Amino acid sequence: MSYPEVRQQNRRMLLLLIIGLVLTLFLMSLPLYSFDVGVYTKKSANTFVGDEKYQEARAEVEAVAEDYRAQGFDVEILEDVLERVNSKGKTTSLITFTVTERYNKNMFSFLGKGLPSSTALAAMLALMAIAAVSVAAGLVGTDDVLQRYLDRKTRWLRGLAIAALVLALILVPVFILMNNVTFSRQLSLYNAELITDGKDALFAKLDNFFFDGKMGDGIGDVLGALKIRHSPMVWVLIPALFISLVAALSLKNGEIRSGLLRGALYVFVVIVCVVTLYPYYVMTITAFRSNAETLDMYFLHLAPTRWVWSNLSDIVQRGVPRYLLNSIFVAGGATALAMLCGIPAAYAMARMNFKGKKAFLGFVIMSQMFSPVVLLIGISQLMNTMHLNNTLWGLMLINAAFNQAFAIWLLRGTFVSISSEMEQAAMIDGCGTVRALTKVLIPMAAPGIVTALIFVFINAWNEYTIATVLISTAQNRPITVGITQFSSFNMIEWQYMFAASLLATIPVVILFMSIEKHLTAGLTSGGVKG
Amino acid sequence: MKKLFALFLIVALMLCMVPAAFAADDEITLDVIICQYGPNTNDWFLGKGMDGSNFVEKFEAANPGIKLNLDVVSWNDVYTEVDTRIANDNAPDILNIDVFANYANEGLLMPVKDYCPEDLFGDFFPSFIDQSVIDDTVWAVPDLASARALFYNVDIFDEIGEEVPTTWAELQDVSQAILDYYDGEIYPWGIDMTTDEGQAAFAYYTWGNGGGFVDENGDWAVNSAENVEAIEYAISLVNDGYTNPNPATQTRYDLQDMFAAGKLAMVIAPNQLPTYVADKGGEINMATAGLPANEGKTSSSVGVMDRVMAFKDDSAPDQAARNEAIGKFLKFFYDPENYVGWVSMEGFLPAVNSAVEALVAADPTFEAWLDVLGGCQFYPAAKAEWDQVKQGVIAAEQNALTGADVQAELDALQAELTK
Amino acid sequence: MNTGLNRTKWEPYVWLLPSILLIAIFVIFPILIVFKLSFSEISKAGVIGGFVGFDNYVEAVRLPAFKTVMLNTLWWVLSVVILSTVLGFIIALVLNQQFHGRKIARSILVFPWATSLVIQASVWNYIIKAEYGNLNNVLLNLGIIQQAINWRSSYQIEFVWECWVGIFVTVPFVTFCVLSGLQSIDGSLYEAATMDGAGFWSKLRNITLPMVRPSLTVSTVLNIIYVFNSFPIVYTMTKGAPAHKTDTMITYLYMLSFYERRKGPATALSVIGFLILCICAGIYMVSVMRKEEEL
Repeated sequence: MSYPEVRQQNRRMLLLLIIGLVLTLFLMSLPLYSFDVGVYTKKSANTFVGDEKYQEARAEVEAVAEDYRAQGFDVEILEDVLERVNSKGKTTSLITFTVTERYNKNMFSFLGKGLPSSTALAAMLALMAIAAVSVAAGLVGTDDVLQRYLDRKTRWLRGLAIAALVLALILVPVFILMNNVTFSRQLSLYNAELITDGKDALFAKLDNFFFDGKMGDGIGDVLGALKIRHSPMVWVLIPALFISLVAALSLKNGEIRSGLLRGALYVFVVIVCVVTLYPYYVMTITAFRSNAETLDMYFLHLAPTRWVWSNLSDIVQRGVPRYLLNSIFVAGGATALAMLCGIPAAYAMARMNFKGKKAFLGFVIMSQMFSPVVLLIGISQLMNTMHLNNTLWGLMLINAAFNQAFAIWLLRGTFVSISSEMEQAAMIDGCGTVRALTKVLIPMAAPGIVTALIFVFINAWNEYTIATVLISTAQNRPITVGITQFSSFNMIEWQYMFAASLLATIPVVILFMSIEKHLTAGLTSGGVKG
Repeated sequence: MKKLFALFLIVALMLCMVPAAFAADDEITLDVIICQYGPNTNDWFLGKGMDGSNFVEKFEAANPGIKLNLDVVSWNDVYTEVDTRIANDNAPDILNIDVFANYANEGLLMPVKDYCPEDLFGDFFPSFIDQSVIDDTVWAVPDLASARALFYNVDIFDEIGEEVPTTWAELQDVSQAILDYYDGEIYPWGIDMTTDEGQAAFAYYTWGNGGGFVDENGDWAVNSAENVEAIEYAISLVNDGYTNPNPATQTRYDLQDMFAAGKLAMVIAPNQLPTYVADKGGEINMATAGLPANEGKTSSSVGVMDRVMAFKDDSAPDQAARNEAIGKFLKFFYDPENYVGWVSMEGFLPAVNSAVEALVAADPTFEAWLDVLGGCQFYPAAKAEWDQVKQGVIAAEQNALTGADVQAELDALQAELTK
Repeated sequence: MNTGLNRTKWEPYVWLLPSILLIAIFVIFPILIVFKLSFSEISKAGVIGGFVGFDNYVEAVRLPAFKTVMLNTLWWVLSVVILSTVLGFIIALVLNQQFHGRKIARSILVFPWATSLVIQASVWNYIIKAEYGNLNNVLLNLGIIQQAINWRSSYQIEFVWECWVGIFVTVPFVTFCVLSGLQSIDGSLYEAATMDGAGFWSKLRNITLPMVRPSLTVSTVLNIIYVFNSFPIVYTMTKGAPAHKTDTMITYLYMLSFYERRKGPATALSVIGFLILCICAGIYMVSVMRKEEEL
């Protein structure tokens, strides 16, 4: 692109970014939230919308509303229809009319009120400010240059803007969530006196929010009849911020198309990550709850009210570290053994011609076709004859054997896709086959080897069925079996079970993160691909 | 390169030859499998749950020459583990489980009199011992029991001003009242027809209608008219919306949890429920009552009992010494000093007379429960087909939940049993 | 591919030997025992008796739930394998792009795989509880639903949930298999194609797919086997309730063996499953390998 074109494109994108931010702020200033406080309620049983009884009741309520309007209140009539079919198959209906006074609030009125959503909103605004400032700072005098010619500092600033916008985007649903928790779930439970903890503190904050703290003790009555409604327009904040994000991304090379693709990519990745992490969020909040709170029957808590860290020390007391060590030993050993046996076999499959090659492949794949559940009797018989019952060695060998198929298959595929020229060169230089394998092929095949390694480790780490039957003393249990002690005849201790499961996930994730770079390193290491 | 492979081979062979156990000749090792009842079972037997020590350590200190290889297994896995070991001729010496008939019928168990000391045998409640008899031989001894009763949330009943139902018709009326009053927010009645314990539901309703698993001669009679009526009634409770919504997958845990949170007004549960609710932080004002029965029929409470049994081991060099060791294990286990602590920790009811006094002293409600237990009916677990019947009635219930005809389902099961 | 440098005739077999030993002793031997058992009488408690011919097989095929379970298994394998392969492939393509936070995203994707199936199934079971499940919690508090929903109102829906958990835990495996395949593609191929004016789809079809086909073959064949043999998800979530209507073959034969104590037909059923797998995986492998050789 030529100099003026780049400049023009970047200017346009900057404009778009500002439009997105201004649109967001504009939406925030609209009265998106309305709160209805009931001043008069009439219930009418066995009434169906439109029938005679309904007309009567409606007229009565209208009259009351007129009264209020005459006194200068801004009131509205709400209608709530509850229909139900009883056991005799008859439909009954109950209509509730409520005359309400309405308070309209825009999002800025949540700021600085000490509510949970106030924090989220403040963070959102701060992130938007950061994005705006860093784009401005990064662009002054550089809006005519393509991204790849920018200096490091400017690039960093643009990265910051993008990160801030992504985070702000995520905070939108968080804000909505927090508001609903406070105004809908929590309030209704306080009013029904199902819970009492923290009631006064919250009511004081709400008094501050609605009436600048003037209501005092009377606040309870007002809140007793409070109903929150948010306009669906709240969700429009997400596309509005997305516009800014796309614009910020397009600043890279000035093309809206690539910015849009990038933006879509980020959104996709965020969605995938959120869905993936969702069960872990549930595990985490449950793992640190008290036993009593694991049953959140009123859908009140998105996080523990009190983080019970002693759950961790409890499971440590009950042997979890020992089980983890056992698992590390078994899974580590099984992985090492599976690789030691699998790499040579895969090498032979990829590089040599011999009779029975296909038969071996069939043999390997056949070894996978029975579930361990089915093979229990045979395995246990084998372990008895070998005196490996109730030993970690036995478990290790079984796991190594059961993962041979995958290791050989994946490694064979990787080896085949790597040209043999470099090994041949090495061998001509006087290396033996083993040296050619370890010094030349294995480094080049790193991505495949790492994948196989992780796979075998994870499979061995998660193996459960065989371990339950083979291991019969507490000190030899792997973690998968150890966790079962938290689910007994009398109760399931969800908090311990999930705390232990989280602990069991950590070593695998650490292992993965430490070798993840090899997943991508393969290509750069040389002239691969034949 | 050859060297490398020689090395591989040697390592592989060595790994295969790592020997497992070196037992000294004059020592007897007993393989024991205990089921995991509560969160502390494992700690009591193997950890530090017995005054800083554990059962195994204490036993081995008190009985030199006997070693325990004791495993605490979760109920989910215990059948798998035991059956697999039996298939490999590697049965445990002592097993704690609920069923025994198959093991006894197939000649795997030793008669209790072969190893149980006389004085201990006399200590068991006779009515419990009777539940483990096949062909006049006692094959297992009870380790503990629990009794089921109807628990209800007193606050809910006070609020709506209704009495606890005693008949099926009253149950329907009360359920409707609860449903109406609480707008469907509270489930009136808990029902559990899961694969784990659906046979209990079968017992609750059929026994409350004069039916049951067997007829008066002790022969299977699962398709009697009373049974069909009872199960149809239970299913109608579900279909009318009086119960928790998914009886086929909502287990006892779920029902207990809902009850503890005040979301369930009535549930049939074991005597440990109050302890459980307290652990869960629920402040439920609860009381117990008899199970509702059909008009004109009497209700009968349901007792559940687990057992301890000893397997034959023809390869043991000294059978007499082995029997004596098993006897010592039982003696030590049922010694009030150990047994009372265990039963009260698990929250169950005892199986031996010598434990009663101490338990009643510790918890006055125990006595009432012992009375309930006295009038309990038990599952016909001594009959060989019990496993099949248990799964059969559960399948029938679950099929009925999805709309199948109860009569046809139970007829099919009965036909299979009398085939 | 054969380098043919000074190889003796027996050399390949030496390379294979450790692997063969390991598999033969620890996998094939137990498999042979299962075959033997399927022709033997097995008592309720598990005592193994004498030879009974095909009795166990006849009994297995005549089981009333046989047809339901077979259909369930078919649905289970097809839906989980196909959907997770498609999803995993798409995610792998995305994660192969350069972007900030890629390492974090990849590490996050390992999570479902790094947690044992029993736990995964328990968590999802916990999440979709109507009375206190977190899914209702989040949706209620987002204002998306107004009343708690019973997420498992019928067994068909429960089965869909089981498939969802299956997909959830299988996607990472496919993703990482495809990712490792994608690494072996030379970037210059794409550049050349772009120069020739090839669009996204054409590059996907002509470069990406052929290059990751070996990885996809491995992951698909192994997934068919693993998903078919997957036990903990169904067992933890429903135990096949109501009355085997959500059972797959492997959970059904487990229930048959350890709950109903009909071990003979259960063992026969496992051999039948093995034969089905052999045929399916065999057909797939042969067809794919033929294509591979043509390339």
